[in-house]
Amino acid sequence: MLILTRKCGEGLFIGDDIRITVLEIRGKQIRLGIEAPGSVVVLREEIYRRIQEENLQASGTRDIDVSEVAQLWRQE
Amino acid sequence: MKTMASNSQIISPDPAVFSLKTRNFGSIEVRADQIIYLEPGLLGFSQYHRYVLIEHQRETPFLWLQCLDKADLAFVVIDPRCLLSDYQPGSLDQAIRELEVKNPEDLKILAILTIPPGKPQEMTANLMGPVVINLQTRQGRQLIVEDSHYSHKHRVMPG
Repeated sequence: MLILTRKCGEGLFIGDDIRITVLEIRGKQIRLGIEAPGSVVVLREEIYRRIQEENLQASGTRDIDVSEVAQLWRQE
Repeated sequence: MKTMASNSQIISPDPAVFSLKTRNFGSIEVRADQIIYLEPGLLGFSQYHRYVLIEHQRETPFLWLQCLDKADLAFVVIDPRCLLSDYQPGSLDQAIRELEVKNPEDLKILAILTIPPGKPQEMTANLMGPVVINLQTRQGRQLIVEDSHYSHKHRVMPG
């Protein structure tokens, strides 16, 4: 892992078009400003992991189970 | 199986059909004007961008979002408003702008379903990460909804 030290107001670039700026340091919390193209996904880690994990689980859905679900749906 | 896309009724002069052998549907034929591009791709599958929507069975709301870049990758999806008629995440407006949706009816919203193997009753819908598609341009993305009203594991059927 690359480790850099930055002061409030300082920033860094990732490639040509992603810029991260340290906006505020308050106790244990740091506010970051992130400028990135719309094609780049920027998310808090816990949110990213939750959605990624859910997508992985969903990708394992079996056709036979969908057919059963469809049957249950029609009965309602 | 019938593939669905905005212009599916229009016969393209150059149909550019290609075939794909899928896990669930055997061989399918897809026209260029049926391909949906997810950019960025789904989280965890960001390297795959081309998908097609396929009806599961007639008269049910379930569709397959079949990846064209990886034949064995497919997701079951449903219009989340079949589950919650007032589903309206706040970040939808931003998605409408980013996808340049001109008419509300051009916006397709799909919730990805997770069905634990052999336990269809425990099916959940991911209302935190809907797939939004502009049907006119066939461009879409996975919208992340950071709204405590909507769960990534919304239980669909009563337990």
